[in-house]
Amino acid sequence: MSEPLLEVADLRIRFHTRRGVASVVNGVTWSVRPGETVAIVGESGSGKSVSTLAILGLVPQPPGEVSGSVRFEGRELVGASDADLRRMRGNDIAMVFQDPMTSLNPVLTVGRQITEALELHLGLRGDAARRRAAELLDQVGIPSPDRRLDSYPHQMSGGMRQRVMIAIALACDPKVLIADEPTTALDVTIQAQIVELIDGLQAERGMGVVWITHDLGVVAGLADRVLVMYGGQVVEEAPVSRLYASPAHPYTQGLLAALPVLGEHRDELQTIAGLPPDPSDLPPGCLFWPRCPKRLDARCQTERPVLRPAGPDHRVATFYDAGSEVASGA
Amino acid sequence: MGAVAVSRQQRWLAFLRVVVANRLAAAGLVVIVLLALAAIFGEFLAPYPPSDLDVTSRLQPPSGAHPFGTDELGRDVLSRVIVGARVSVQVAAIAVGISLVAGVLTGLVAGYYGGRVDTVLMRLMDVLFAFPAILLAIAILAVLGPGLTNAMIAIGVVFTPIFARITRASVLSVREEVYVRAARSLGASDARLIALHVLPNVLAPVIVQTSISLAFAILNEAALSFLGLGVQPPRPSWGRMLFEGRGFVRQAWWMAVFPGAAIFVTVLSFNVLGDALRDALDPRQKSAIEARGGGGPA
Amino acid sequence: MLLGVSVLVFLLVHLVPGDPIRTAMGPRYDPEVYQRLSERAGFDQPLPVQYGQWLAGAVTGDLGVSFRTGRPVMGALLERLPATLTLAFASVVVALLIALPLGVLSAVRSGSKLDYAATVFSQVGISIPDFWMGILFILVFAEYLQILPASGYASLLDDPVAWLRHLLMPAVTIGVVSGSILTRFVRSSVLESLGQDYVRTARAKGLSERVVVTRHVLRNALIPFVTVTGLQLATLLGGVIIVEFVFAWPGLGLLALQAVDARDYTVLQGAVLLIATLFLLINLVVDLLYAWLDPRIKY
Repeated sequence: MSEPLLEVADLRIRFHTRRGVASVVNGVTWSVRPGETVAIVGESGSGKSVSTLAILGLVPQPPGEVSGSVRFEGRELVGASDADLRRMRGNDIAMVFQDPMTSLNPVLTVGRQITEALELHLGLRGDAARRRAAELLDQVGIPSPDRRLDSYPHQMSGGMRQRVMIAIALACDPKVLIADEPTTALDVTIQAQIVELIDGLQAERGMGVVWITHDLGVVAGLADRVLVMYGGQVVEEAPVSRLYASPAHPYTQGLLAALPVLGEHRDELQTIAGLPPDPSDLPPGCLFWPRCPKRLDARCQTERPVLRPAGPDHRVATFYDAGSEVASGA
Repeated sequence: MGAVAVSRQQRWLAFLRVVVANRLAAAGLVVIVLLALAAIFGEFLAPYPPSDLDVTSRLQPPSGAHPFGTDELGRDVLSRVIVGARVSVQVAAIAVGISLVAGVLTGLVAGYYGGRVDTVLMRLMDVLFAFPAILLAIAILAVLGPGLTNAMIAIGVVFTPIFARITRASVLSVREEVYVRAARSLGASDARLIALHVLPNVLAPVIVQTSISLAFAILNEAALSFLGLGVQPPRPSWGRMLFEGRGFVRQAWWMAVFPGAAIFVTVLSFNVLGDALRDALDPRQKSAIEARGGGGPA
Repeated sequence: MLLGVSVLVFLLVHLVPGDPIRTAMGPRYDPEVYQRLSERAGFDQPLPVQYGQWLAGAVTGDLGVSFRTGRPVMGALLERLPATLTLAFASVVVALLIALPLGVLSAVRSGSKLDYAATVFSQVGISIPDFWMGILFILVFAEYLQILPASGYASLLDDPVAWLRHLLMPAVTIGVVSGSILTRFVRSSVLESLGQDYVRTARAKGLSERVVVTRHVLRNALIPFVTVTGLQLATLLGGVIIVEFVFAWPGLGLLALQAVDARDYTVLQGAVLLIATLFLLINLVVDLLYAWLDPRIKY
């Protein structure tokens, strides 16, 4: 297997606010290889988006505080100089954001927003930059790309805008693409198109893709590996098929149970009761304890579980053991 | 009703907390209290009767006997500044009172009834708004003639549109709320609906605007008196004193400097307090500040 | 809008208690002149007819004659217009020179000492009476340092240096007050724009902070700012009127105040109408500028 492109190790992010310190990401470790798709799944507030912003050095410090390690092709990015980070952003690692309605600048043409990255990292100017930008629009499936270069974002539909965002991200042939819920704000049919588009582009280019989502359903057809985040921690990590077949963490089990199944009628959608933990007031024990249907009182409440093996390439952070329950029940 | 009362009480508590936490706002409040005292008890606080002429001590620079010096007629500038507070407070309070009542009523009616009533009323407000405030006040005073009462009316008229606009905007946002529509469908009368449901929601922005308007009313009154259109001598007023002092800038700087400083400090206090009020009472502004202070991309 | 303004301006004069011509003439009352002025003013006609005549005249540039001097009002206004336009324009320049850099810097370095200083400056600027600041300037620069003239006006064409020396203090007085208000608006609109998603996109492209601010933030921040500036010009024009009085600057504001003093109502009427028209014109320009800045708006 090839060397990892991007390695995140024990990443921690805290925000200093007037109400105290909020620990948003609490020791996260993962990596992505060329051609691989890693999905990071979690509710909003689980720290999944912030941790990817930290990779690009886009967490404002202060009030933020980032520690741990992020390596791109072996180079350390945490604490790297602003100039080094800028050279890497959009060039080696690019990002597609959640809301294409607000993520494009309303007063600049689409073409300008693509060419500025080409100008910066590849030194392309004038006609050359324009030609390349049109190629990119073509690649992301925008019809009559030449004419579209002079459009403003408000003249395009949401799906088209997200394609533009992808074109911007791909402009400089990045080795890693981080997609932060790129389909959440779109219609279901458009969602499928965007997923397909990114999947195809990845196959073509051999990029590593980090796909952030709150929806385990999106992940199924597209990821190689899945990380489930809760309260700023990775609580479970497994190859996608294994995760679906035998989820080991009660939280993952809850997420899967909440998925609507096509053709199956349910009287009510199952959800996990309760709220995610307040990052400025984390409980001492397992972060999921207050909502956990399988909790074992004393230990879960006082001791925080760490990731432990739960099968081939499968790790989980819980004291609950699905196997033992079956065993003891027998 | 209980819920509304609690939230209002909480807002006032929030305001008090802001005042205590913000030393600037506290200082502003102190100045305003002093100003009110000066306005009420001016003659008792002033070291000299404000209109006492003393030809033997004309144009005296500041000294122990006359901390702010004396003017061209030998009157004590400090005493006149203290007593002059009354005109400022009186004109500002009554003028803002006029615009508050007129503007809020206009805004309520326009916003609540909408349609043609709204169009006509707000057009009228727009027309008033199309003039620089001071120009309109000058024109009104030119017609009514100079004087204290007319200055109040002029400033009151000039400040009406802003209250009307703010009120109308709040009313529009409340009018379609579910609970208001529910109350209407239950047969509540318009007056009852406005008093019980619409007015409380209009309150916060109006209170903030009142504080800001007081500051500008004091500025405008001083400007009008400075132009000779406001208070007529011999009644001491800060604007008028500045006008007189302007003629003696070369010989007696204190005649212009101290009354102007009094206007400045007063207006500053109202503005600082207005900002604190806004922070405490206007939820939108408050959330903007919290977003800046805490949290981050998540 | 302009129609509403004209009705209001017209009514102002006709609501004057008593006989405005007689009042205006004061002790120099001359029955023959009175008769002539009275006929010219058409006071014997019903009000709507008078308004129609006045408006028809105003549209063609005839605003009647001064009750005091008998001269055409339009001539007097045009004579004073350049001085007011000069002062207003110079003040806007000063205000923008203060507000744009200060507002942008304090937003970009929000929470810094510079931001705090800018906040204090704008609070002071908003609260300070412009006429007092003008007097303080005169005290310091004209009386004490004696480096600038205390009052008056010089034509740019006759003597550019004198023109600038006379212009400096009044323009700075108005500019500081307007500039401090605008600083707040610049700061808040830049802050708002900085928090937008497209700024994050721009940063994720690897653009430097300078390019992010100049290319992505500023243009967007200017859109709300331009609207506010248009409204702010009303305050600025108000400041012009008072500051013209402080520095004896022979513009429309001073003319209006002299007309109030002399009870010369036709001149006052004309001056108020012209200033209000100027204000509306400026706002029209602002609307056009707005459309030009924001591609989402098309007229």
